[in-house]
Amino acid sequence: MYREHDLSYDFLGIHLENPFILSAAPPTDELDMAVDGLNAGWAGVVLKTTSVEENPVNLKYPMMSSFGTAAHKVWGLGNIDLISRYHIEEICTRVSTLKHLFPGKMIAASIMGSRKEDWQSLVWQLRKAGVDLIECSFSCPQGSMGEAPGRMLAQSVEATEKVARWVKEAADETPVLIKITPQVTDIVEVARALQRAGVDGVTASNSVPALIGVDVETMEPRPSVWGDGAYSGMTGMAIKPLTLRTIAEIARSVEITISGNGGAYSWSDAVELMAVGASNVQFCTLPMHYGFGVIRDLTSGMADYLERMGFASPRDIVGKALSHIKAQEDLSAPVTHSDIDLDKCVGCGSCFRACRDGGHRAIVWDSVKRQPSVDMDRCPGCGQCMQVCPVNAIRMREEVGQKVHYFEFRGAR
Amino acid sequence: MEEFERTLNRQQAAIEAERCLYCYDAPCEAKCPAHVPIPEFIQSIRSGNMHGARVLLQEAHPLIETCGRICPEEEFCQSVCTRAKVDKPVRIRELHRFVTDSTDAADRLEIPVESRDCVAIVGAGPAGLACARELKLKGIRCEVFDTRSLGGVPAQEVSWNRCPREVQEREMCLLASKFIDQVHIERVTDVGPLMRDYAAVFIATGLPAESDLPIDGVGLAGVFHARELLRAVKAGAASGTGRRVGVVGGGNVAIEVASVLRQEDPTRDVTVVYRRGIKELRAFSEEIDEATRLGVTYQFLAIPDCILGETHVTGLQVTQARLCEEDESGRCRFEPLPASSYVIPLDTVVIAVGQRADEDVFHGIARSSGGLIRVGENMQTSMPGVFAGGDVVSGARTVVEAVRDGKKAAESIAAYVAGGK
Repeated sequence: MYREHDLSYDFLGIHLENPFILSAAPPTDELDMAVDGLNAGWAGVVLKTTSVEENPVNLKYPMMSSFGTAAHKVWGLGNIDLISRYHIEEICTRVSTLKHLFPGKMIAASIMGSRKEDWQSLVWQLRKAGVDLIECSFSCPQGSMGEAPGRMLAQSVEATEKVARWVKEAADETPVLIKITPQVTDIVEVARALQRAGVDGVTASNSVPALIGVDVETMEPRPSVWGDGAYSGMTGMAIKPLTLRTIAEIARSVEITISGNGGAYSWSDAVELMAVGASNVQFCTLPMHYGFGVIRDLTSGMADYLERMGFASPRDIVGKALSHIKAQEDLSAPVTHSDIDLDKCVGCGSCFRACRDGGHRAIVWDSVKRQPSVDMDRCPGCGQCMQVCPVNAIRMREEVGQKVHYFEFRGAR
Repeated sequence: MEEFERTLNRQQAAIEAERCLYCYDAPCEAKCPAHVPIPEFIQSIRSGNMHGARVLLQEAHPLIETCGRICPEEEFCQSVCTRAKVDKPVRIRELHRFVTDSTDAADRLEIPVESRDCVAIVGAGPAGLACARELKLKGIRCEVFDTRSLGGVPAQEVSWNRCPREVQEREMCLLASKFIDQVHIERVTDVGPLMRDYAAVFIATGLPAESDLPIDGVGLAGVFHARELLRAVKAGAASGTGRRVGVVGGGNVAIEVASVLRQEDPTRDVTVVYRRGIKELRAFSEEIDEATRLGVTYQFLAIPDCILGETHVTGLQVTQARLCEEDESGRCRFEPLPASSYVIPLDTVVIAVGQRADEDVFHGIARSSGGLIRVGENMQTSMPGVFAGGDVVSGARTVVEAVRDGKKAAESIAAYVAGGK
């Protein structure tokens, strides 16, 4: 009934029908779930991380936890999950099956090993099964099996480069992505090491090592497994700003393909990740929360966005915001003030209180009219008032010659 | 009888609490006659600090258990909720009730050491109880006089459905045990003797008398007065009303008695007979909704002429009215249509046309022409040391307004007592 926008493009030589991939996580840990996801319209899957037979996978349940408020329970999702309990032979069978069922989709697998022969054997087996792309988890935050146990492989620049070379050597023409962690001193160093190693790209990034919570009555960490808990990998909306910085930092400094991963909860989040340098976007928490069907909104939202913006392909978004990211000292210095639209204002006084106790005491409160007004001499335009205004009635106004510019609130959707 | 279901569970309360905009200088709080610190207690619900929420409510208001159930929030806090400008008001009263239902009033309660001064409080309704508690918190002892038990209208007349027995009893028990030094069940008609024995007197006797209909037939068997009926039913007696009941009136008491009679016997027809239209009903909309849900019906624009019957009621003859221009309160006036009378066949007529102060008591204290006691800005009557508040001063009002009067009077009484008379 309506014109369809073509969202397809090439990613490392692989055809993607849209930029949305199911990441290596529970949604891709069963064959029928991967099938359902691909049938729903996801452009590809990265099957949940597997390893060689000798590596036991001892899961502890309950493994999931989250934090948020009553109305938004899952701001952040935590897991103490490990890699797939299925070993490489089973994953190879699934790769072949999925490739057969979905020849036009990206069928990728994620691997994790320790010794060189493990890594390379995993790669060879997957190549034989016809995998489109291999992702290597250098950053599983829960129980590493890398060179230094207890530490993530991607936290060591040297180890990262060495292992990446092993993998790429075995992969040959098959594209390789290395999934890194944001939990490093200098993410750019890690990305440079991977570039030197000759891999095809990075997946930036992974869940963020976190402690989801502590029960204040029992002193048990969350999730609690008979009273004890471990650090979780945190995902979901809460980590999107961290992921954005990670991707932007890499993209600004290193010429390397990036697959975005971590915190995207909508098509517009995906646009943001791509705008700072991701070539596609992987999702896990969103489908784990709302199911595979969310792909319909992701694709229609993206299509509408491209139409509206006049972009021919999702590729056109990639890196579009990068030139605008600068050091704080390199920014211009607007002369700006809070500008309150009294037609929109509901008179809650939140701006007044926020400015009084956390700003510059520049908002004056008329308690009879229940109206704020701005003392221009005191207001430097910090913008705290517009963060707390519940109805977006506040903008920062700057007069540039004869023209007026507004800095508007761009937070919540 | 089952309580009307309006409660929020923990999750619903948490989600509702998130809707509060936490207004600065909040209009809801200003509108609440008891000045309950609403945004603050809602913030405490958000943070899971239920005891803190309880303390905020309890400090502002002695009858929060009762008010959490029967306060007409659409008249007060919720009517000015800023959130209504975004979507709809926060359900403040239900959040309030969530707090009282999930916490214990007596928990960590501390009462100051008392002084030797003692105040007599005449009338143990909301105004009297609020005054007693405030005085006690200021270290002043008080003894309470009432012709019935503690609690006044909410305890004796508001149906158990709207405010269940255990809730009322819990609240009264706490007040009686912690804040009142002695309860005298006796009728006080003269403040003179009290002035000799007590440092001050607070009169809060409410409106004990019921207005009558000035028409023929009010003496027939089958004619009842609404509040008398409510008290009887609440005390556990059968109402004794028939199968076809007409309730004459359009205020909260009329709606309440109609609801109670429908609840007592759902096969009984109960019709509210009112001179004006649906918009002019003076009852709170929540109570009208509840009555409608219970199957109460209405005969609007019907002016009672006389009650028909030989010895027992057989019907109510009414004249059709029409609505005219609005009066100063915004309600439409009415006038009878000529030659339009008709008969509503009834076996019971319940009169709910208003209530009055008892004018045969407290001689020497100035009253208005309507029989209400006159007070100054500080709630003091024409007699020094005698203060008054609640319905006996302001006419029929709400519990929370009576509480406001009681609190305000306590301030003045404390100052009066401290000033050495």
